[in-house]
Amino acid sequence: MMLKRLLAVLALSAAGAACTGQDEAGVSAEQASFRAALLTAGPVSDAGWYAGAYEGLLLLRDSLGAAISHQQTRTPSEFDEAFFSYASAGYDLIFAHGFEYQDAAIRAGERFPNTTFVVSGGGRYSANVVPLIFELEEGSYLAGMVAAGVSRSGIIGTVGGVAIPPVEGTFLAFEAGARAVNPDVRVLEAYTGSWDDVAAAKEATVAQLGRGADVIIHNVDAASFGVFQAVREAVAGGRSAWALGMNRDQNDVAPDVILGSAVIRIPEAFLETAYAWQSGALGGRPIYFGATEDVIDFVLNPALVDRVPAELRAALQTARARIRSGQLQVPRVPFVEGEPGVR
Amino acid sequence: MPDRAGWASLAVAAGALAVTASIAALLLWLGGYDPARAAAAMWSGAFGSRDAIVSVTLVRSVPFILTGLAVALAFRAGVWNIGAEGQLYAGAIAAAWVGLAGGTLPAWILVPAVLAGAGLAGALWALVPALMKLRLGVGEVITTILMNFVGINLAAYLVHGPLQESRGVFPQTDAIVEAARLPALIPGTRLHVGFALAVVLAALLAGVFRWTRLGFQVRAVGASERAAWVTGRINARAVVLASFLASGALAGLAGGVEVAGLTYALYEGLSPGWGYTAIAVALLAALNPVAVVGTAVLFGALEAGAGAMQREAGIPAVWVIAVEALVILAVLATDQMRRRYVASRRAGPTPDVDGGPTPQARPAHV
Repeated sequence: MMLKRLLAVLALSAAGAACTGQDEAGVSAEQASFRAALLTAGPVSDAGWYAGAYEGLLLLRDSLGAAISHQQTRTPSEFDEAFFSYASAGYDLIFAHGFEYQDAAIRAGERFPNTTFVVSGGGRYSANVVPLIFELEEGSYLAGMVAAGVSRSGIIGTVGGVAIPPVEGTFLAFEAGARAVNPDVRVLEAYTGSWDDVAAAKEATVAQLGRGADVIIHNVDAASFGVFQAVREAVAGGRSAWALGMNRDQNDVAPDVILGSAVIRIPEAFLETAYAWQSGALGGRPIYFGATEDVIDFVLNPALVDRVPAELRAALQTARARIRSGQLQVPRVPFVEGEPGVR
Repeated sequence: MPDRAGWASLAVAAGALAVTASIAALLLWLGGYDPARAAAAMWSGAFGSRDAIVSVTLVRSVPFILTGLAVALAFRAGVWNIGAEGQLYAGAIAAAWVGLAGGTLPAWILVPAVLAGAGLAGALWALVPALMKLRLGVGEVITTILMNFVGINLAAYLVHGPLQESRGVFPQTDAIVEAARLPALIPGTRLHVGFALAVVLAALLAGVFRWTRLGFQVRAVGASERAAWVTGRINARAVVLASFLASGALAGLAGGVEVAGLTYALYEGLSPGWGYTAIAVALLAALNPVAVVGTAVLFGALEAGAGAMQREAGIPAVWVIAVEALVILAVLATDQMRRRYVASRRAGPTPDVDGGPTPQARPAHV
């Protein structure tokens, strides 16, 4: 445990420094229009889910003049404590970036009625606790089309962290998109049980590559580096293999093997949320962000765009337009209070 | 008024702390962060306000007190229980289970039931390595560590399976019923009665060590199991078993108190490794139960300050963890230096009966 943490320190300190080197306190509390905080359950140097959220926080500072602060939490009692500390220090808008925070947020919402708590991927809400629901399925459906379209073996793989509905939904949509291109495609699935265990993600990827998969998509956070590394090594060993990014535009993380990414434009979503809060329209219900709002998308890696056949690119464009217009309904796993099938 | 040796040992400790503080400051400065701001944030997060002290530092100290007591008790008896982490998870599981099954029972039944369940589960978790030690002679250092993995993963399995919330969506249990939750010790703060319970248990344990026959037996067995046995007046095996189980119960209680006092549900990753840090907490307190409360508050303050370093000084978690580790290293090292210095000043090599786990107290089979 300690050893793992120590390794994480070594591995991430460089990236962490690069990522968070800017001074958060660019705006002093006195002159700030409002105060916004971000809680993450993982490092913002993950080049994915948490990095996007941190960029969102910086955007609130740069666009709206918010005074900002970030804390990475480890345990459920720290969630509670961080809400308490931020709210009692007078923060107005607290973004908690993950479903983990929802129960602590509901309790904090009762204790601090003048603070608004925003929970990314949360399933419950109240007057001042607002879940942001990212319909990433709409992007991973397109990723599935690409995977099936470029796969030579007809086998593609998914590597997930923990099997929770927002993640299961992305893989369900990925498979649906793949079947739309190749009905006979085989989809391998693995969950490592961890968001940041790079070695486990790499092992799962190596195993899927060994079973003949040649396009792998992930939905893990910092552990995605393991997925990309495994694919890189397979390519270096003379195989044809591709990876796909998720949660954030990861095309530049491993530009030689990532064909494209299913992205959430988290900064834009945070900004929209802050606007809604400023106009008093935030609260009492979840906010959905999908392709229609231009928050969810699939982005091909510009460096590898020629590896995607022109007719596949055209099919992607068509599907994208149909999703945006609502003609194409992408499957997702409901998990928000009040959605069909959810108590 | 400390004597000359005392002043000298204080000077040594201060010197070592200064060296470490400089290393930490240098590290932060190299990383592009302001060490002065970091130190200020650390102080304000730990002791800067009533909220910081009561709702953060003291709350953080609770699992350290209970697991620290668990380790102190075991080490005193010569039982090398490295399994507080697993016992803590066993206690947390039991507390969540009792708290969920509580139905409409009143709080005066349910709260004691939750705590008793947690203690019992922790003791049960310790029973396996205890029996393996006593019956088979298997060293408890290995078995308790292995039981940690079982406990941690059992909790993970349960929140994904049998104990998962009734909606079946997220890996966590439902919230335990209101009547099973620990009331606040000071209304309006996050401090729950688990803190009072921990302090009372520390006092109780200190009393047992000091004034009871059982306490003497534990110390005697810990000093030398064989010598205690040779006297013919101490059932050393029974003492080892009792200490082991009581140690497990204390660690189990730490998990139960965390669930019933703060999180109100069982989660994966409930503990950041309290059961391991507890060893440092207990050793720094020289295995003295009352001192454990002090060192636990120190560790609680350190963690509270670490959170504030992120929030107020904008230092990323990985840097904070590194600085935190440096501080712990410094404290442990200065404490050892101080003790060595004091020991060298003493006449003759008399073993320190109340002191830490001297190597000669180690059971032969470990």
